[in-house]
Amino acid sequence: METKTETTTTWMCDKCHKALVSQKVKVRYLEGNFEVELLKCPTCNMVFISEDLALGKILEVEKSLEDK
Amino acid sequence: MDLDALLEMSNQCIHSEPPVCMASCPVHMDVIAFVTEIEKGDFAKAYKVMEAKIPFSRLIGKICDHPCESHCVRKEVGGSIRISELEKTAIDLGYTSPKKPLLMPKNKGTVAVIGGGLSGCVAAIELDKKGYNVTIYEKTDRLGGSLWAYEGQDLESAIIEEELSVIAKKGITVWYNTEVTEANLQTYIEKYDALYLGTGAWSKAYAIHPETFQVNDTSLFIGGTLQTQNHSSIFSASSGKRAAVSIDRYITKTSMSASREREGVFETKLDYKIDTVQPIVEVAKTASVYSESEVQEEASRCLKCQCDACIKACVHMQRFSITPDRYIRSINHNERIVLGNRSANLMINSCTECGLCKEVCPFGIGMKDIIHATRQSMVERGKMPISAHDFALKDMQFSHSDYFSLVRKQPSKEQSKNLFYYPVIAFSQYARGLYKGSGKTGYLFYPGCQLSSTHTDYIGAIYKYLVGVIKEKEADNDVGLYLGCCGAPADWAGRLDLMPESVEKIHKTWEEMGEPTFILACSSCASTFEKYLPMIKTISLWEVFATYGLPEVDIKKGKRELCIHDACATRHNAKIHESVRSIVKTLGYSVEELEYAKEKAKCCGYGGLVACANPEQAEDFVQDRAHESEHDVLVYCAMCKDMLVKGNKRAYHILDIIYGNEINPDAPQKMLTLSERQNNRKRLKQQLLKEIWNEEESDMSKTYDFTLHLSDAIIALMEKRFILLSDVEKVVEHSLTCKERFYNPETLDFLARLRVNNVTFWVKYEEHGSDITVKDVYSHRMEVVED
Repeated sequence: METKTETTTTWMCDKCHKALVSQKVKVRYLEGNFEVELLKCPTCNMVFISEDLALGKILEVEKSLEDK
Repeated sequence: MDLDALLEMSNQCIHSEPPVCMASCPVHMDVIAFVTEIEKGDFAKAYKVMEAKIPFSRLIGKICDHPCESHCVRKEVGGSIRISELEKTAIDLGYTSPKKPLLMPKNKGTVAVIGGGLSGCVAAIELDKKGYNVTIYEKTDRLGGSLWAYEGQDLESAIIEEELSVIAKKGITVWYNTEVTEANLQTYIEKYDALYLGTGAWSKAYAIHPETFQVNDTSLFIGGTLQTQNHSSIFSASSGKRAAVSIDRYITKTSMSASREREGVFETKLDYKIDTVQPIVEVAKTASVYSESEVQEEASRCLKCQCDACIKACVHMQRFSITPDRYIRSINHNERIVLGNRSANLMINSCTECGLCKEVCPFGIGMKDIIHATRQSMVERGKMPISAHDFALKDMQFSHSDYFSLVRKQPSKEQSKNLFYYPVIAFSQYARGLYKGSGKTGYLFYPGCQLSSTHTDYIGAIYKYLVGVIKEKEADNDVGLYLGCCGAPADWAGRLDLMPESVEKIHKTWEEMGEPTFILACSSCASTFEKYLPMIKTISLWEVFATYGLPEVDIKKGKRELCIHDACATRHNAKIHESVRSIVKTLGYSVEELEYAKEKAKCCGYGGLVACANPEQAEDFVQDRAHESEHDVLVYCAMCKDMLVKGNKRAYHILDIIYGNEINPDAPQKMLTLSERQNNRKRLKQQLLKEIWNEEESDMSKTYDFTLHLSDAIIALMEKRFILLSDVEKVVEHSLTCKERFYNPETLDFLARLRVNNVTFWVKYEEHGSDITVKDVYSHRMEVVED
């Protein structure tokens, strides 16, 4: 899964009070396993997914995996 | 899936079957394409269409004896299209000189053409194209033969010469003033690989094979007037073309007859019906040929005969611009593909499985069973996109759960004894029915999950009505109640594995209850019972109403005209159609019958779970149906009403008019949300248990310490994205307890996520004490590994 996502954001982790950092994150759906750069909390690892990403690139990849 | 049998079926679809004009043209000119270009005013393209099939089209187009016209379907409704006249104008306005011919290597063999008339020249050109070294022997000093009879009338000599000059340009040798006769024919036979005889007259009558034009098994082939036995220029040209095919096959030693069934004039399977065709008379010529505007007007009369009954009736086929033959081939491809995209998945999940195509097809080809088998096969092979039906299947699980599922016998006399006193017993038919309780369940009322979701408040009243009227006539038969889901969503989704959960439970209940008759109020239930539970006797609620009389409610008799939208799932159930019409008329309404009514009912878009798999396609169905009539619609299926109301068409369920709720026709009709539907099912079970069986059930719904505030826009977004209120609640609850959420210091919003089963839900909200105002919701199925 190739993707260009936001590398900075004003959102921060509410629990750890940390700014989010862009890091490689594992994602999977059906037979697909990918590593993508996503924003996450450097402490608790909670991954941030924006609406644009969820309904854009992620949806597109989900659909193409479903049709494989 | 038997894909070969499927492909066999696709061959029966006559969508691609040619119109009778093309089938009766010896060279199969594509009349529809030709006429279409003329209508557009593109005469050059129209001429190109002629040129593709008609040899020497600039000449033959002027003198063709047009056998097509006498077969034209327009003949009886305004007169045949004057195809021959269209051709003349197309030549005048669209002729362009041909490209310089490519000189092909001529090494496949040698052929002698005896007679340089029309058929001989056609045969020579065709054979030259195929790579033969051709020599023409002509007894006069010019080519063209009978073409010269038209000189000065329909054809100018300069044009005849110009057109025939192609023979020389192609490098075909012509021996002029060289007569070949029966006496010296043998010499030529020996010298050449094959011979074409097209002299018009000959001293010996040979037996000519009717399809190949071959003389016995020899290298001699005969065409033109000798073969056609008439003076038709187009038949003559056709025989030259066909003989050239035979000669090629003869020399290359391939089958003389394979795949030639439809050469020349043939019979098309297309039988275009003119019942609804308005007559338009032939356009008169104001000069010797049609003018540009006249020719376009004449072309516009063409019916462009093609079988498209199913496409006309189905917005699904329209959206994917597909015909059953191509649809089946796409399915075949989709099923056989090993690597790569299954590009037909969305299409396959966009069919409502309503069965209308089969009703309108002259050959009874229907996509419903094919689509159903395909979806099953996709599921079995693990190739069904999960997202297509996931929401509907989860909703079905909800109906199967204890939140909704309920089976009860009629309340016993002991349970109901507090009703058996005056005046209740005197005035309530229901109380009298309970008083006559026999303990034997003769009927089981099965309202179904969707009616219970959207028309919740009728269910109790209907149940009481049923106990009252049925016990009055049949004292022995008690009426029980069964809330559940028949499994239609699983059936539509091709999930055979999920059917037993519904069907076996129903079957077991039916046995335990002593095999009662099910009273069904949903068309999809009726169709599922028929398919999976044929042993169970069923009757529709509408038949009960029509037979036992309507419930006594204070209703104003309507005077309006309503159009009836029949349910596609019961298109073949005439009893339901009659009962519904009888009820509507009894209530004083008049009925407008739609063009697509009863067995030709169109689907509302809910069928086949299309509303779930492809909402845009479902919207096409709704709009198509909504625009069929100006009148408000009367339906007898809860899903149909939902869909139509969602599409901004005023619709009433038959229960609305029976119970007098067709009030305030100007107020907008409310569409229930997905969450409200689930809540209604839950509420219905609790209400009925309390009201009828006097059972108090502990409330199973979870309560939270916060209050959610959702704007209409957010609610609409949740509907569009198939997100339930309970999903939002779970996300918020989790984020508040675990503090797993993001914070935006600029907007002061929170953003939280929670994975529920196979979906991750995200909620953006604002927090003020215990008040949570939702600002956005979205979801994805992809799983994020947080470690």
